[in-house]
Amino acid sequence: MNHNSDLLTLRAASKSYGAVPVLHGIDLAVRDGEFLTVLGPSGSGKTTVLRLIGGLESLSSGEIRLDGEDISRMPINRRPFNTVFQDYALFPHMTVAANVGYGLSVRRKPRREIARRVAEALDLVQLGQFAGRYPAQLSGGQRQRVALARALICRPRLVLLDEPLAALDLELRRQMQEFLKSIQREVRTTFLFVTHDQEEAISMADRICVMQCGHIRQIGTPHELYYRPNCEFVARFFGENNLVPGVLGPVAGNLRAIDTALGRLVCSVEGQPDLRDAEDGTAAFAAFRPEVLHVAQAGGGENRMAGRVVDIAFAGASTIAKIAPNADGDLLLRLRLPSRIDGGTLAPGQALELAFIPQEGHLVAA
Amino acid sequence: MRTARSTPLSEGCRASVITALAFALPVLFILAPLAIFLVYSFFSVDHGEIRHELSLGNYVRFFTDPVFLPVFRSTLLLCVSVAAISVLLAYPAACFLTTLKGRWRYALLMLLMVPLLMSYVIKIYAIRSILGLNGFLNQALVWAGILREPSPLFVFNMNAILLTLTLLLIPFAILPIFLSLERIPQNLISASEDLGASRLQTFLRITLPLSLPGVATAASFVFVLAIGDFLTPQMVGGVSGFTFGRVLYSQFGTAYNWPFGAALSVMLALVVILAILLGERFGRTRGIST
Repeated sequence: MNHNSDLLTLRAASKSYGAVPVLHGIDLAVRDGEFLTVLGPSGSGKTTVLRLIGGLESLSSGEIRLDGEDISRMPINRRPFNTVFQDYALFPHMTVAANVGYGLSVRRKPRREIARRVAEALDLVQLGQFAGRYPAQLSGGQRQRVALARALICRPRLVLLDEPLAALDLELRRQMQEFLKSIQREVRTTFLFVTHDQEEAISMADRICVMQCGHIRQIGTPHELYYRPNCEFVARFFGENNLVPGVLGPVAGNLRAIDTALGRLVCSVEGQPDLRDAEDGTAAFAAFRPEVLHVAQAGGGENRMAGRVVDIAFAGASTIAKIAPNADGDLLLRLRLPSRIDGGTLAPGQALELAFIPQEGHLVAA
Repeated sequence: MRTARSTPLSEGCRASVITALAFALPVLFILAPLAIFLVYSFFSVDHGEIRHELSLGNYVRFFTDPVFLPVFRSTLLLCVSVAAISVLLAYPAACFLTTLKGRWRYALLMLLMVPLLMSYVIKIYAIRSILGLNGFLNQALVWAGILREPSPLFVFNMNAILLTLTLLLIPFAILPIFLSLERIPQNLISASEDLGASRLQTFLRITLPLSLPGVATAASFVFVLAIGDFLTPQMVGGVSGFTFGRVLYSQFGTAYNWPFGAALSVMLALVVILAILLGERFGRTRGIST
């Protein structure tokens, strides 16, 4: 897999419906062979990005380039991309085999080649024995796989997937996530996957592009986004997080202090030159994940926060405790602990002291 | 209140009475008269008196008399033509309707349906005056230089019946075709183009096959309405435009042979039932995904 060259680039791509702008000049580079997930809440413009690339919508301004060549005006049926639609959009009057072979037969490929490639594609999605069925005779997951085979058979440069798993139940969705990922590795095609489900994004993507209100907020690996969110939106949207507002204080190596209502906290600024170089007194957030917080023994040390347990929620493998700090009772902190069969040591109302290691917290620009 | 205290049993009784009534009305007003017709078709007439003895004489006469079968056949051909022409004209109209957006679409659809609210007889008169020797059609053709002088080709013959029935019945063809076109999800069209199909390919392979149920329904509607019509042939058909409907009508009127008329009606009913069954068979939508 060559992740270094850009397959497709969007430059200052904007889209408005009438007077309503839905995309505000976004720049995005899709790398050859990667699994890129576009993640955002509904109304963030993520589906519009996909429809623009696929040619289902036209740009209001900006450009789309494929291998450096402008394809903004190329009609939908000539773009070397194929889409897996949210509701699958299988042709109800055609068999599974005819659906899958459609892209080849409209290109007037020889019958024998179509039959051979349809059989290959159906084998790839493990639906070989369903070739003669009609879409109405298939389950949701099977239809999903037919749609995928139909999109892959033309050997597109890019497969566009528009929330393809949204209609499936949880168990099936998990299976399909793994399945999609393994297919993508096998065929080595670039996948652009749109979803609003951040867990899905984390588990599948090589890179994630987080969108909000028609802007791209951050692009990076799931790890980068989880541990180094570059703005408050990403920090809050992406997994559970504790955000404490404050003003920046002195820098010491890779660490920087931030003065908050809970006292002075010290967090990492590694890989964040903007925050390291920002002037003292600049507003920012201290961000630390529920799982990096721990209950501390009495005594001194960095990043200490005294508080009281408000609520304990069992969530299977882990238990989330909500803790109201004594210094600011409105600011609830979340603490994630491994679940214990005896219910653990915490009880609502209990007073305790929390801490986190400076290297495990980080700063987020306000 | 007494009704509020009614027991489940009496409610059940009332429900079954309502059900019985609901079935009784069609049985009384549709099935019973049809059954009476069927029975009458086995009677015969002797010197203006109906003889209540069962015989197959009427049917034998229908199949052996040199008059009736040819009229029956030419009427079938006429009505199949009317159905075919109506569908061919209605399809582009329905396609055009689906390309319109929002309010315009339904405004135009309503306009197409307005003729259905007008009196049948008035419409026939209007069309007859258009088709006539000094009618609009002839004047327009002469003016356009296609005809040298007004032609009697358009009225008081089979052509006139064909044109008039088509004009009268075309709204019945547009509606089902429009509905079937409108029900095709936009996503399927997008998917087809996304997979590389041209507009023509998308139309021929996706839109057209998915709208065929509407076409079948439209064709059977128009055919059934056309074959049962005797008023239109009577008014625009003249002497040469002799259709089965007119033969049938004359048996009940001038000829006063109700049993034979009933036998002819039974033959017509068989054709209508067949057309409806065919329309239903091809009009069923196969496996639309849910």
